[in-house]
Amino acid sequence: MSDLVVLGLKLGFLVLLWLFILFVANVIRTDLFGRKLPAAELAQATFEATAAPGTPRMSRKVTKQMPTVLKVTHGKQAGLTIPLAGGVLIGRGADCQLILDDDYVSTHHARISLGSDGYLVEDLGSTNGTMLNNEPLRVPSAFTPGDSLRIGRTLMSVEK
Amino acid sequence: MDSVVSYRKRRGVEAFMLGFAIALAMAGYLLTHLDQSATLPPQWPWAFGIFSAVALGLHVVIRWRIPYADPLILPLVMLLNGLGLAMIHRLDLGSNPVMHSAELQLTWLVVAAAACAGVIIGLRDYRLLQRYPYLLFLLGMILLMLPLVPGLGKESHGARIWIHLGSYSFQPAELAKLVLSIAFASYLVEKREVLALAGARFLGVELPRPRDLGPILLMWLASLAVLVFQKDLGTSLLFFGLFVVMLYVATEKPAWALLGTGLFLAGAVGAYFAFDHVQARVSAWLNPFADPVNNYQIIQAQYGIAWGGLFGTGWGLGRPNMTPLPKSDFIAAALGEEIGITGLMAVMLIYGIIVARGLRAGLAAKDPFGKLLATGLSFVFAIQVFAIIGGVTRLLPLTGLTSPFMSQGGSSLVANWVMIGLLLVITHQVRRPAAAVAAMPMASLEADTTELIDVSSLQTPAPVSGVMATPAGADDVTGPIPVVEPTLTGNDLAGNDLAGNDLAEDDTAEVPRTPGPGTTSTGTTGTGTTSTGEES
Repeated sequence: MSDLVVLGLKLGFLVLLWLFILFVANVIRTDLFGRKLPAAELAQATFEATAAPGTPRMSRKVTKQMPTVLKVTHGKQAGLTIPLAGGVLIGRGADCQLILDDDYVSTHHARISLGSDGYLVEDLGSTNGTMLNNEPLRVPSAFTPGDSLRIGRTLMSVEK
Repeated sequence: MDSVVSYRKRRGVEAFMLGFAIALAMAGYLLTHLDQSATLPPQWPWAFGIFSAVALGLHVVIRWRIPYADPLILPLVMLLNGLGLAMIHRLDLGSNPVMHSAELQLTWLVVAAAACAGVIIGLRDYRLLQRYPYLLFLLGMILLMLPLVPGLGKESHGARIWIHLGSYSFQPAELAKLVLSIAFASYLVEKREVLALAGARFLGVELPRPRDLGPILLMWLASLAVLVFQKDLGTSLLFFGLFVVMLYVATEKPAWALLGTGLFLAGAVGAYFAFDHVQARVSAWLNPFADPVNNYQIIQAQYGIAWGGLFGTGWGLGRPNMTPLPKSDFIAAALGEEIGITGLMAVMLIYGIIVARGLRAGLAAKDPFGKLLATGLSFVFAIQVFAIIGGVTRLLPLTGLTSPFMSQGGSSLVANWVMIGLLLVITHQVRRPAAAVAAMPMASLEADTTELIDVSSLQTPAPVSGVMATPAGADDVTGPIPVVEPTLTGNDLAGNDLAGNDLAEDDTAEVPRTPGPGTTSTGTTGTGTTSTGEES
């Protein structure tokens, strides 16, 4: 090949390489801020995100068995039920969905969140710990109907 | 109405960028042949097919399992891999007789991509890795020190960072960086609060307490051992830097970073004066031409990059084979020669963008473990690229690390692809719409004020010493609480002995000392909760 063609191909390769980087930069730019989503759509979106496409059979089964409410079974707020709807933050802080007025409860004590196949409960580094079925909760664990969750002096369970 | 920020999936963008990356890699491969013989290699459809199948397979796995993962990481990594393969193939052609290491490397790419897909499919909740910090730490340390075992480790090119099993050789540091990143992240999630406690102030910087220095000193000694016995500054810098940065990120105390830098510099200077081989490395870095026989490799690399100039000689037209080990350690020099500084800068920028995407995932992660893991993995990747490309271009003393994804070598490729798999899983968790935290109607808590009980009238006859002697592991929080000192650790259910301050605060609050009527209900449930009365 002539030297001119070789030079053209060499520079063409470098131009394409840098064009790739410019494309990447553009993707980063348009990705900088997410889009806003009304909070009401979030539970749905969260569920779609966790129940990945490709496993519709599984997700339908999971949806059917999915608990919908968190019920306080014992403690000062016994009888209280709140909707799970994607996740619940439990603690003493004012920004929690379930506020437990109890000295053994940390400001942000535990969180119930929607995992890939059902709800998960995790301890958020609380002082006095969280007990799931009388076992200290160390890693995020599945929280299914029939399990009992103890935080401070309050017992909770999830129900359909 | 509340609104929440969510990221788009952008899988279409990923597919497009993957196509672009494949085209660039193929361009490098085909240009080599066009420039050298003006013909296309007969087997090019195979190379194209296998490489594209790897990209497509991973893309499909990501669409299926982690659709919210970062759209850029995979194309960037595939491009690096493709350029590496093209360059290895080009160096095969340049060697006499012609070698076939690019075919082997392509096979390793398939294996590594399968390992990455395995991580993506098998580990959707990366928090499971949090469970065994000490075990993983031990494993990482063993891996790191493995090359020092006589018979197993072998010194090659002045550094002892390889192990040899039969005809198969392996760089255990590649795997160790992955294992130790996970171990450090889970350890620091647990311990960061105590490590963040301030000690004395010195020059306006809050120093950590002397008693908390144990872990950093341990890592310092380990990295010094690597520097002195394995004779490798890069590996040493890699692991100590990883630990110090994760410590800094976990505690937000600049003192740790300053302390770590100081310790490393002190150790490096001390090793320089104490050991001849460290001096030899430094002189090869500062004055390579003083000893052209021993520093042949680094000198050839400099000539290669200089010969390439701004735009390179063009694929296949340089003489990168004159540098020893051009396919593994010195692939950056080979690229610098043939695609020039313009191309080498682009490659470094691609490495930088991968690091930036990982750090961004760390910034956005909501849980501390994900934050630390993403930061640690990105940072260790960054130091590795810095150490090896810095070594090749003589910014730093030379080190025997691989250029991730480009250098020849199966263990490095698999370890780095597993790392990318982990990072992709974390970005998926970070970028997908967050669990709803919308405000919900609550039952009024106004009436539920703290219950005050006249302690004096209810004081049980139990002797005070008996209460104090409550077993340290008592997990019955509803029972009588001994007045504990802030440093007492036993009362802590989470196994987290750092929260002494919180504990003290809780204990000074007005709580019933004996199970009052309002609290016994917990103990009488059918769920097997420990009876509240047994200790009083």
